[in-house]
Amino acid sequence: MKRRIIAIAAKELRHIMRDWQTLMVILFMPVVMMFLYGYALTMDLIEVPVLVEDPSLSQESSAIVRAIDATTLFRVIGSVRVASDPERIFKEQHVKVLFRFPPDFAAGLRSGAHGAGIQVLIDGSDPNTGTILRNAVESLVLKAALEVLGIERPEIVTVDQRVLYNQEQKSALYFVPGLMAILLLMISALLTSLAITREKELGTFEQLLVSPLRPGEIVLGKILPYLALAAIDGTLILLVGYASFGIRVAGSLSFLAAASVVYIFTSLAIGLLVSTVARNQQQAMLIVLPATMLPTIILSGFIFPLASLPIALRCISALVPATYFLEIIRGVILKGTGLAVLWQPLAVLGGIGILLVAVSVKKFKVQL
Amino acid sequence: MNLVRLMIWKEFAHIRADRLSVRLMVLPVFGMLFILGYALTTEVKNIDIAAVDWSATPESRSLIESLRANRLFRWQSPSPTVDDARRRLDKGEIKAVLVVPPDFVRTLNTAEGAHVQLLVDGQDANSANVARGYLSAVISQWAMQRFVHGLKARGLRVESLVPVTVSPVILFNPMLKSTWYMVPALVVLLVTIITGLLSGLSIVKEKTAGTFEQLMVTPVEPHHVIVGKTIPYLLIGVAEICVFLALAVLWFRLPFRGNFFVLLLFGVVYMMSSLGIGILTSTIARSPQQVLFLVWFIMIFFILLSGFFIPIDNMPQWVRNIALINPIRYFMFAVREMFLKGSGIAELWRELLSMFAIGVTVFSAAVLLFHRRAK
Repeated sequence: MKRRIIAIAAKELRHIMRDWQTLMVILFMPVVMMFLYGYALTMDLIEVPVLVEDPSLSQESSAIVRAIDATTLFRVIGSVRVASDPERIFKEQHVKVLFRFPPDFAAGLRSGAHGAGIQVLIDGSDPNTGTILRNAVESLVLKAALEVLGIERPEIVTVDQRVLYNQEQKSALYFVPGLMAILLLMISALLTSLAITREKELGTFEQLLVSPLRPGEIVLGKILPYLALAAIDGTLILLVGYASFGIRVAGSLSFLAAASVVYIFTSLAIGLLVSTVARNQQQAMLIVLPATMLPTIILSGFIFPLASLPIALRCISALVPATYFLEIIRGVILKGTGLAVLWQPLAVLGGIGILLVAVSVKKFKVQL
Repeated sequence: MNLVRLMIWKEFAHIRADRLSVRLMVLPVFGMLFILGYALTTEVKNIDIAAVDWSATPESRSLIESLRANRLFRWQSPSPTVDDARRRLDKGEIKAVLVVPPDFVRTLNTAEGAHVQLLVDGQDANSANVARGYLSAVISQWAMQRFVHGLKARGLRVESLVPVTVSPVILFNPMLKSTWYMVPALVVLLVTIITGLLSGLSIVKEKTAGTFEQLMVTPVEPHHVIVGKTIPYLLIGVAEICVFLALAVLWFRLPFRGNFFVLLLFGVVYMMSSLGIGILTSTIARSPQQVLFLVWFIMIFFILLSGFFIPIDNMPQWVRNIALINPIRYFMFAVREMFLKGSGIAELWRELLSMFAIGVTVFSAAVLLFHRRAK
């Protein structure tokens, strides 16, 4: 039995090697994606372009404008006397914020009666950016104004902040584990379903079935090379993550490996199930992509925090295996937690896998 | 001309014949629009937080109460000790802890002021940042109010402490709804995926079926093939833009402030790139699988650098340079500006030109390569 499984695995390996373009994509995609995600995914806003409307042209207003420009958040790109059509400015000049000082700004600032009013127009198209900018402007302007007037305001409550698990706030640390979940799924689910449907398409699957090989041996033999490939890719991601972003696995490596095997098992089960439904490769791809890859990217908490999702979508995300794997892998890599804390998601993950295998074996038998 | 018409007709016949693929193309795409329309939110909310209130005084309770009035946080039961809170953080039950020290009230009235401690789970840097910013702002507001209140009680003037009032006004998306920002972008993505993938698969399917050689020995010229393989998908793409636009306006209640025909013009110019990429990959690839991987790879790359959910301006310079050749980026920007700001060609001609240049380059590269391969 062992020999026959190895024979099938060797045959599958030859298929993989022959299609070297795909192999290259599989091996290099993780590395390229890691670099991109690591460097490009920064949510921090810096140097947001700002325009100033200042009819007062006073020393006080220009001191405040300088203070705004000095922050890393804003960059003042220009100043106008009068902005008659602000919306037009936003459309044409690609600024995100327009500070509008009143003509009597200096007098209002010193009068002390009502204070000087500054209107701040913010481009809210991107709600995230809009919120951050809105939260920032008020305290920034107030602080600058107090400084101009030479008033010191007492600090009454200081908030000592401590960031845990990802002290340097590197987004790479958050995305690398997510990337692993996605790539492992892609290799295990997509490639195995393609490998099996390809044989169906070419008619060689029947030939395999009439051979002395048992169905279980065929499936196992076909799965093994992809398991190896997934393991190589996973290791590659961890190595690149360590070398270029300094990401260390805080918890136990062997627990990480064990959890990954459970996840790969579940993903392979998805691939098997798809290959019992699909009749050719194109169908397999069309099922795998929207039905597994997209939920994994969007609903697993990879990019968008789960807590922000509406309740209906959170129910769907509870069915996505990657949701549990992400919890495990982030726990191990970033927090250094182990089985004691993470047994629950691990059990659910394994449970989903067993359920899927049971269903697909049943479907498989019906087809024969 | 007749041959071209025949080729187009043949392609539509192929599309019709492959019932399952059509169904798989249509249903998930609409499903995606609906799911993604609601899921793609960079808005941060429902952060689970717990308090460790060692002070347990009216002051500390009032401070915590002032933080409750916001859906950014979901307050969980308080922890008795910091160690217990730490364990709950480890488990992932909560994402943030606010610790009020026992000497809170006493230090509140000293010159140095009181200290509270905030522990934040920093795994998701964005959520952590938003939480920290909001907490600090509200706490300092609370402190200010208390201070002003104290001054007033003593009959002192307080205006000089607040010399400016800042009134922020949000333009274009006054409710700051993420659907308003994300649905236009989704229209772009779905059109890209469908036109790129379908056109990519169309040629390679003929290759694997062996009908490509048959096609080449007929009087049909390579450029007939290309036109025949592009026009149907261009039409599908245009139809999709119309359907998605209707859905965006009628279902998601988005404003469409731009001009419909300008949107179509941008769409057609943009599809030169997406169809070009499809044809290019299907000329290079030898199996549908390879097309899928290539298209998927290119898409992931371009989508990430398109400003879809991370503003391009936030990225380092070298990444921004790469993003200059990204056609999706221009189309996405243009569609969003059209939807929300009502911009037209007068404001967006640069984007149109860039898309046109990229489209011509990609498409002629595809045609050249196809010609060489066909011979």
